[in-house]
Amino acid sequence: MIVTYNWLKEFVDFDLDADQLSHQLTMAGLEVDFMEKLGANLDSVIVAKLDSVEPHPEADRLTLCQVNTGSDVIPVVCGATNHKTGDLIALAQVGSILPGDFKIKKSKIRGAVSQGMLCSEKELGLAEEADGILILPQELQLGLPVFDALGLKDVRYEIGLTPNRADCLSVAGVAREVGAFVQNKIQLPTSGKISEGEVAIEAKTSVEIEDASGCPRYMARLIEGVKVAPSPAWLVQRLESIGMRSINNVVDVTNYVLMELGHPLHAFDFNLLRGTKIVVKRAEEGCEFTTLDKQSRQLKSTDIVICDNEGPIALAGVMGGENSEVQDTTVDILLESAYFDPTSVRRTSKRLGIHTEASHRFERGADIDIVSIALNRAISLIQELAGGTVAAGYIDNYPQALFKREVSITSARTNALLGLNLSLSEIEQLLNSIELNTKRSDIDGQEALVATIPMSRHDLEREVDLIEEVARLNGYDNIPVTMPISRVVRQTKNQSQSTTRSLRDGMVAQGFSEIINYSFTSPTAWDKIDLCEDDARRTTIKVLNPLTEEQSIMRTSLVPAMLETVARNLSYRSTDLSLFELRPIFTVKDSDVQPEESMRMCAAITGKREVEGWSQSDAEVDYYDLKGSIETVCQHLAIPTLSAKLDALQPYLHPGKSCRLYHGKTLLGVMGEVHPQVQENYDIDQPVYLVELDVAALQSTKKNVTAFKPISRFPDCYRDSAFLFDEEVSAQQVFDVLSKVKVKNLDDVTLFDMYSGKGVPEGKKSLAIRVRYRSMDKTFTDDEINVMHAKIVKSLQKNLGAEIR
Amino acid sequence: MKEKLESMLASANEAMENATDEAMLQEIRVSYLGKKGQLTSIMKEMGGLSNEERPIVGAIANKVKDQVSQTFDKQLKAIKSNVMASRLVNEKIDVTLPGRIKAQGTKHPVTLVTEELIEIFSSLGFCVAEGPEVEQDFYNFEALNIPKDHPARDMQDTFYINEDVVLRTHTSPVQIRSMLKQEPPLRIIAPGTVYRRDSDITHSPMFHQIEGFMVDENITFGDLKGVLTTFIHECFGKKVGVRFRPSFFPFTEPSAEVDIQCVICGGKGCRVCGNSGWLEILGSGMIDPEVLKSVEYDSDKYSGFAFGMGLERIAMLKFGVNDLRLFFENDVRFLRQF
Repeated sequence: MIVTYNWLKEFVDFDLDADQLSHQLTMAGLEVDFMEKLGANLDSVIVAKLDSVEPHPEADRLTLCQVNTGSDVIPVVCGATNHKTGDLIALAQVGSILPGDFKIKKSKIRGAVSQGMLCSEKELGLAEEADGILILPQELQLGLPVFDALGLKDVRYEIGLTPNRADCLSVAGVAREVGAFVQNKIQLPTSGKISEGEVAIEAKTSVEIEDASGCPRYMARLIEGVKVAPSPAWLVQRLESIGMRSINNVVDVTNYVLMELGHPLHAFDFNLLRGTKIVVKRAEEGCEFTTLDKQSRQLKSTDIVICDNEGPIALAGVMGGENSEVQDTTVDILLESAYFDPTSVRRTSKRLGIHTEASHRFERGADIDIVSIALNRAISLIQELAGGTVAAGYIDNYPQALFKREVSITSARTNALLGLNLSLSEIEQLLNSIELNTKRSDIDGQEALVATIPMSRHDLEREVDLIEEVARLNGYDNIPVTMPISRVVRQTKNQSQSTTRSLRDGMVAQGFSEIINYSFTSPTAWDKIDLCEDDARRTTIKVLNPLTEEQSIMRTSLVPAMLETVARNLSYRSTDLSLFELRPIFTVKDSDVQPEESMRMCAAITGKREVEGWSQSDAEVDYYDLKGSIETVCQHLAIPTLSAKLDALQPYLHPGKSCRLYHGKTLLGVMGEVHPQVQENYDIDQPVYLVELDVAALQSTKKNVTAFKPISRFPDCYRDSAFLFDEEVSAQQVFDVLSKVKVKNLDDVTLFDMYSGKGVPEGKKSLAIRVRYRSMDKTFTDDEINVMHAKIVKSLQKNLGAEIR
Repeated sequence: MKEKLESMLASANEAMENATDEAMLQEIRVSYLGKKGQLTSIMKEMGGLSNEERPIVGAIANKVKDQVSQTFDKQLKAIKSNVMASRLVNEKIDVTLPGRIKAQGTKHPVTLVTEELIEIFSSLGFCVAEGPEVEQDFYNFEALNIPKDHPARDMQDTFYINEDVVLRTHTSPVQIRSMLKQEPPLRIIAPGTVYRRDSDITHSPMFHQIEGFMVDENITFGDLKGVLTTFIHECFGKKVGVRFRPSFFPFTEPSAEVDIQCVICGGKGCRVCGNSGWLEILGSGMIDPEVLKSVEYDSDKYSGFAFGMGLERIAMLKFGVNDLRLFFENDVRFLRQF
């Protein structure tokens, strides 16, 4: 909603400057989104008189003007042709800054000195187009700023209204709010005298309401013999000050009253009606109707239409019809002022995609009591501006008068909810200030107020709505800041939240950066990571109305977006990446309307292992870097042992360099090098290693408390041995065997070397292990260690065919 | 003998003082005091002395021995300190070369803000709750007093999975789920991902919010102001101005929009705050009685307040990020700054 300072002043007297008004409106809940001071900074554009106008000796199209400012005469070169000696014009003096940051400087044009500029309306921001410079009325005083002299100085406020405040969709409505905070009554415009003809309106036309629920009230007046013409300057300027274009005097009046009082009116060309009778009813299903904007619309039986004898002439409260539109040739006008049901208007306007000033107001709820005031205001203005004779009387079809709601309020409840200490009379005063009439009453032995709600306030239905008005009018600033007095709430530690947090902290500690991708993805993502046709991850939740196909399904894996992120960063030449994402995936659950949302952690690494530097290695990361990070993070989560298995490999991972990760029998996730084909699908030209873990599985295996193991007061003993194994024997097999050896004092095993090549027979590899022996009560002798170690050697020999080197 | 001893002392002192390294010094010491040294050979003459002279010469011999030893110790210390000094002079590195940097991981800025907010509200006794992102109409709209024909429900604005299931448009459904699960008193915050059907420079179809609410007996609008003012002062500093102004949300009454003094210009007015000097950061209000009714709380007995804010917005203000899209592009040049 746009209002201006001067326009508000017409309805209510206040003593606030432009900025104070803006602040107060905002603090009353009418947020000023934008404030523009019209003519501000243009005080150096003044009224001046052309003492002489001579042709420029060096240029045919320019004139040399002697410009009288009242105190001085200065030379100005001008390129316009519509000015002559004696005209009053708008002179932008040297130093003025015109709209568009256009600075006026002293200059020499073809040898002639020019100390200013004669302005057009366009250059002053008064009009979008201008033909020549602005010639001012003769009676203006020389030297005055032009905007002051013309009375154009004003401030425009763009108010972002909340949807509940339909009552403020007018200058009068905003003025009522201003009146409340400056404690002044507002003065609504009175309609001028209407000179009525002899013949009564009933003799010329009639209105029948077939659907009173869709149209509770319909008023009309008839004016004959009008002359449609351009509007006078004051009306044009008024409309322009709030950003509306002038069309003609009749249309402009309906728009003016719409903005002034907030009530939409519609003017029909009476002579274009087929017959004289108006019927308000539901449209015939499927009937075609062309609206003012020349669009043909197909109507439904839920649409309310205004009809003449043959069919619709307007879509009630939304838009008029082309068939009855007021044109330059119109002489007789039937003016409608009605109240339409918000739901019907909303349904029609939404279905047809027509949003107008009228539908905007009707669907939020217009004021049924202002119907006649708006009608008479508009008829009197039309008569004033376009002449004509108004048929005697008016039609007011209001079959079932709507009653005003009554809502009660007590000071106890008001104060309890707001934390205030207002008396009932203070509350009464506040409510009265926005024209809510109140009377005292008694509710359950408590003194209360019963407020009568004006028909414009559809939002005030319950006591709490009145309490909000009290809070607002009393000022949110005046509510004391307090801290709640409340009982302590028992907090149960949320396990999944803490696992997620530990996991995130662990990944960050390992040098990974967290990313966040959209939860929706493209259906083609699964092809890109080469999932089989029957892969469960292809069964997804689909968005009915996605913005794009690429965002049309909820993801069942974090992998595709991770690979896209890697590819995008590589394309920016960020070649060394350690990334992770910790977000839910969405899987279809047949038994429920909602999908299952389960947390996944996906991480990827690629590029150099170490940060580039003068003494750092430039080796590339590999599978074991990622595995080491995951093992470290799992230790951090108190999941000490991970085992890697080669079952059910993922199609997007390299079959020779990937595994599934388990703790005991619990599957935690998958990891490996990205399959070279998939890598190619994403245009990635360096190896990428990837892991995806199920956070719930991690949580289920994680120990809540790490149990303390006593440390020995005796030194640890170590034994190193190197073994030859067949190439096929995996490290996991070695660890599995070692974990089953029964040696009481075996404390830990480290695999510290792996070698194949020169010195090792073909088809074999050498693994070196270091075993730690620890006792709580003594230092082992060499012999004791030898006995224990021999057991380990033997078990590797027996189970895996190891040969000691 | 006495003369011999004294001349030996003099020559030993001189030799030691001229010694240039530890080995030479040791050699000199042995040549005077060692088993086959000069002192031993002089002492062999002791046998030829009278009983009276013997203790006197013995005492002199001991004294000479002590003095030679002292000289030795002194010289040894001097030589060692010279050696140390010259070693330290030679052992030198360029201490200005950069250290070996270990790659540092980073949390996403939205995570950082979420964690900070959780910390602040935890200190006020709020606990964290979560809810599903794919949500039923009932929790996302109906129970929150958002009627069937409300514009927010439009297919234009909300992602639908089917007629009754949507991608939640705010974190408020967690309010309903929490209240249905337990009786007051309640103090809960619910951070989470939300979705709106909007995508341009200032809108992302997916973003993050944090919802907070409190229900108990006698909770007032003044308490809402108290808790949120405390939060803002913790998050943006004690000096930042705060204002509450009337607004409208279907699930609160009265409702308030909360502005902070512009953190960019300090309230003078700039491009970021649209010259108003204020930045809108959260929506709040007293929980509407209709909402309490939908979870079967007695609105005569209980009252409460609720608030919600966009986490990307807070992150943008805190870190001075000027483009919302950066949060979801996952460019490491952006992420590594946090």
